[in-house]
Amino acid sequence: MRDLHVPWWLAGATVAIAITLSFKGAYAASLMNLVAIAALIAASMRFVLLIGELSFATSAFVGLGAYGAGIATALFDWPFPVALILGPLAVIVVSALFGYVTLRIKGPYFMLIGFAFTEAVRISFTKVNAIGGVTGLPGIFPPQFLDSWMPTFVALVVIGLLFGLYAVEKSDFGKTLVAIRDNEDIARTVGVDVLAFKVACFVIASFCAGVAGSLQAFVNNVISPSDFGFLVASFALAYVKIGGESSIFGAITGAIFLSLLGSYALGFGAGEHFIYGGAMVLAMLLMPKGFIGLFATLRARYSRPAKATPLAAKPVAAQ
Amino acid sequence: MQTALQLLLTTLQIGAVYILFSLGLTLIFGIMRVVNFVHGHFFALSALLVSVFMPPVISAGFSVPLAYVLAGSAAIAGSLALALAVYKFGLSYFQRDMEGAFIFTMGMAILLDGVFLWLFGGSVRPVPQIITGNTSILGASVSVQRLALCLIAALVTVLLYWALGATKLGKALRAVAADHEAAMLQGIPYNRIALTGFLLAAFLAAFAGVLIAPVSVVSPVMGTDYLMKTFVAIIVGGLGSVRGAIVGALFVGSIEAVGGYYADASTATIAVFVLVILVLLIRPKGLLGHA
Repeated sequence: MRDLHVPWWLAGATVAIAITLSFKGAYAASLMNLVAIAALIAASMRFVLLIGELSFATSAFVGLGAYGAGIATALFDWPFPVALILGPLAVIVVSALFGYVTLRIKGPYFMLIGFAFTEAVRISFTKVNAIGGVTGLPGIFPPQFLDSWMPTFVALVVIGLLFGLYAVEKSDFGKTLVAIRDNEDIARTVGVDVLAFKVACFVIASFCAGVAGSLQAFVNNVISPSDFGFLVASFALAYVKIGGESSIFGAITGAIFLSLLGSYALGFGAGEHFIYGGAMVLAMLLMPKGFIGLFATLRARYSRPAKATPLAAKPVAAQ
Repeated sequence: MQTALQLLLTTLQIGAVYILFSLGLTLIFGIMRVVNFVHGHFFALSALLVSVFMPPVISAGFSVPLAYVLAGSAAIAGSLALALAVYKFGLSYFQRDMEGAFIFTMGMAILLDGVFLWLFGGSVRPVPQIITGNTSILGASVSVQRLALCLIAALVTVLLYWALGATKLGKALRAVAADHEAAMLQGIPYNRIALTGFLLAAFLAAFAGVLIAPVSVVSPVMGTDYLMKTFVAIIVGGLGSVRGAIVGALFVGSIEAVGGYYADASTATIAVFVLVILVLLIRPKGLLGHA
């Protein structure tokens, strides 16, 4: 049994739940939901990065999850648990098909095909009048008894899935994914079915994105196609990069930091762009390995003061 | 027949701007192996600057076409200054780092969105018509201004194509795109070539911005829409391929023209994105790609 740091996870979960229980009020609740959902999308993005691919289709899967919840609740009035899982189940099917055909290509082509998929799905949402077209779908409410506990519920679901992703990453399956990223051909020579592993990874990550979308629909009560543009995936990638790609905690830290900064910046009106864009630019220039990298550098510097080689502190031009 | 001709003309009009735009993106990808999200802002800035500079120049007593040339040159200079700043203070650190460059240029794009909105305001800015009147080609009607736009864009494309094939700089650019390490071993100064290539790409975008300003709505966010379509164009053609960029741009332009004629604009957009997925399934590296 590998060490999954269960006590640390329990401690973190306890703190998160305590925070959701101690802050009441609509603004605090929306902030906590925002952060939790951002963390889940960021972790989903990072999970696909384990096989070395950038998945812009993440936005589309968040959207499918949200519309699944929306259709089940607002149109058919199905019970909450069914509505919650309907979108993510659809995402499993769609992402398996999409992954099976597209994961044969790599790098920029995979990234851009995901991008095209996201845009096509988003525009398709606007074309269907039954789900509200351009204006979107209102009236997606969680059951009455959950109303005031929504942040706690969201936090529980998100932490559960984050731990799931962490456990999968630490398993043999996760290590095979990293092996595929490092050298696909070597993995193939030892008998790994590379495509199957990639598709499985993609489906797991997309499922989490679908759940994030489903939660988002219930939290915001109204969804519209413009919520699921490529910016969702772009921001998720920014969370991962600014937090630090090397660990799931980097993705979570980046999501917490940037989404809090983003909603703080919202208060400045047009200044939002300055703060958010500026933070991304500065973070990329000053700490290319994210918070996690910064932390590791600082620790290395203070534990071995004799050999001070702050290599990672500055971006190095490629040449 | 007349409909077909009209659609062909529309394709060429839309495609002309996409070609200039996608040539720049594909150059940057070829040389630096990054996807530049700020490219749309070079384009938007020059269109915006044309709309800012033209009225005072006209009221200073210059004729409209001359004012357009003067304002256009100043606008291109402004865009190139922005491109130089983006390269020197940022993008040069992220060469061959697709993810890093992506986040950086996206952050930069968001930042510049804010700057443009603050500088130019969110409203649509008018640019006076340069050449008035319509003409008809074999029965299909087209405005002279748009025809001129097409011809100039075609001229620039031919010039660039020739320059890449025949001049020393063009050969250096292609060598770097093919294998930058081997190119450096041959004594090609990579950093200088990369900067030149980036500025050349920015120039193409700025030039497209100047061309589009009189025939389109000029606003701070106009670049993003073109950028999305151009991404599709360069994927279809094959990343890094110059011929591919031209073919891809015409592909996107033709679907927009035909789709826009028989259905509506958003259906045409969906068709563009679905078709690119199909193309990639058949030819994963794009129609003319081999990278």
